[in-house]
Amino acid sequence: MNKKKIDELIGASYRYLDQKKVEKIASLLSIKDLKKYINGLKLGEKENTLIISSSSPLNNQDLKKIIKLFPYKKIILEKDPSLMLGMRIVDNDIVYDFTLKNSLHRILSFVEQNYD
Amino acid sequence: MIDNNKIIGTLEKILTAYGGDVKIQNVGTVIKNTDGVITASGLSRAIMGEKVIFEDGNAGTVLNLDEESVSIILLGETSSVKEGDTLKTTGKMLSIEVSEELLGRVIDPLGNPQDNKPKIKKGKNMPLEKIAAGVVDREPVSTPLKTGIKAIDSMIPIGRGQRELIIGDRQTGKTAIAIDSIINQKFNKKPVVCVYVAIGQKKSTIAQVIDRLNSEGAGSYTIVVSASASDSAALQYLAPYSGCAIAEYFLDKGRDVLIVYDDLTKHAWAYRQISLVLKRPAGREAYPGDIFYLHSKLLERSVKLNKENGGGSITALPIIETQANDISAYIPTNVISITDGQIYLQTDLFNAGIRPAINVGQSVSRVGGAAQTQTIKSVSNKLRLELAQYNSVAAFAQFGSEVDPATQKQLDRGRRLTEILKQPQYFPLTENLEVLSIYAVTSGLMDDIPVDSFHRFEKDLHSFAKKNYPKVLETLSAGDRPTEQALKQISKLIDEFKKRFQ
Repeated sequence: MNKKKIDELIGASYRYLDQKKVEKIASLLSIKDLKKYINGLKLGEKENTLIISSSSPLNNQDLKKIIKLFPYKKIILEKDPSLMLGMRIVDNDIVYDFTLKNSLHRILSFVEQNYD
Repeated sequence: MIDNNKIIGTLEKILTAYGGDVKIQNVGTVIKNTDGVITASGLSRAIMGEKVIFEDGNAGTVLNLDEESVSIILLGETSSVKEGDTLKTTGKMLSIEVSEELLGRVIDPLGNPQDNKPKIKKGKNMPLEKIAAGVVDREPVSTPLKTGIKAIDSMIPIGRGQRELIIGDRQTGKTAIAIDSIINQKFNKKPVVCVYVAIGQKKSTIAQVIDRLNSEGAGSYTIVVSASASDSAALQYLAPYSGCAIAEYFLDKGRDVLIVYDDLTKHAWAYRQISLVLKRPAGREAYPGDIFYLHSKLLERSVKLNKENGGGSITALPIIETQANDISAYIPTNVISITDGQIYLQTDLFNAGIRPAINVGQSVSRVGGAAQTQTIKSVSNKLRLELAQYNSVAAFAQFGSEVDPATQKQLDRGRRLTEILKQPQYFPLTENLEVLSIYAVTSGLMDDIPVDSFHRFEKDLHSFAKKNYPKVLETLSAGDRPTEQALKQISKLIDEFKKRFQ
């Protein structure tokens, strides 16, 4: 099966993802194509998910703002005390870092690079 | 005592220069590691040649951008990166930190010291990949770059900003010519900065070269970039670009630089290895399609800049190793066509005791003639003509048949010229001594000296001239065409020495 057809299957499965459909497609595919199909599903899942990490739980107002910014994404909230303050948003392969931990890291590397 | 106000002032400066708090990163995940070539998913914003950092601190550079993945060559330990590791882009192209402190140092292609001395921290970041200077920024090659080798300086002259290929089989003295050229730069009032790039060589060979450069006093103005045979193909691939980036730092300061790529055959091998792992289509001799561009973009960075751009130059001496004297193989023909001439070394000549084993007939310098001084030009024209005549009649002489007196004279002169052009390794000569030696033969003044005592005669003649006729040598150093008066003085010098020579 060529790549285009597998992409079509992934697209179809993803838009109307239900267990029965996926199981039927999986049973009809060879092992090689199945691997490609699963990888595609994983990538699709990643592309449609937004992970928000913060040191303390987000308030509703902030969360609403984020949902407005990423209307078609599934949002996962995570707690990470090591971030100290602020939040980190992971959108597929792009990471937006608004944390105090990142600020301190940046100051440290700036000083290291410019001063002995 | 540290001044508190000074500390606060410095911190305020840091805070002013410090940018915003938001950091946007492009991240990816390692899918596979094939001999140091990493395939990663994600990194949708990566660009070709961009530097990436792995979670274990290793660095890599992007070499392929595919629809769903990115291929990266690893610059550190190949075994430490595993499937599932994360990596991030840096937004920076691969570069090397360069400063004056690099002179006399031995480094790897990433700038890490190889000589147990501290790493150079405060320098200028020079990009490894750079578009060569344009036509408007350049000027024609006009200044000679002396190698100190009689045969080269007289017949295959090299100019500053030229790219002269040294080509030949293994063990024919290719590196020796390059090293002699570096050593000879110490005779310049302001030494030319030299960069020696060792690609895919044995570590013991590199150590020998470094040792020789230091013992000859050339270490202080030379930088060695070392990517040995035990280093990864990625490092061997990057080595010449690192060397060139270093050379460009000095070029920007208006300095003259000599860079030796030893050798580009192994560089092509390294790139072939990477390309095959990257599954790029293989072409002739399994090299990828862009192998020509690989070398042309590198050698095109050799330049003679005009005065408005500082007037600096980069002279390149790329080395190519041939198999069984086959200069029509893929890489040799590519590099021959890119460079401004070639010095062709032959095993037969080497074994016959003619060292440097230069095949004068097949060696050429396409632009160096314009850079030759009038002094050496005055003797080289006759030298070239007489050698050509000798080569044309030498073949007949091999049959042992009797030849007429005129031909016999040509043969005798040719043998003497061949003998005088022989030169031991690590003994580069200044231009005035080169002219003195060549003039002594072409003028016929050495016709009565037995060929087997030529070497001793030449050596003693040089000492005699330095001691008794320094003014004559000074006249020959001026770069002007020698006057009749000067030639008479040289003849007198040689005649006087001959009376003393036993």
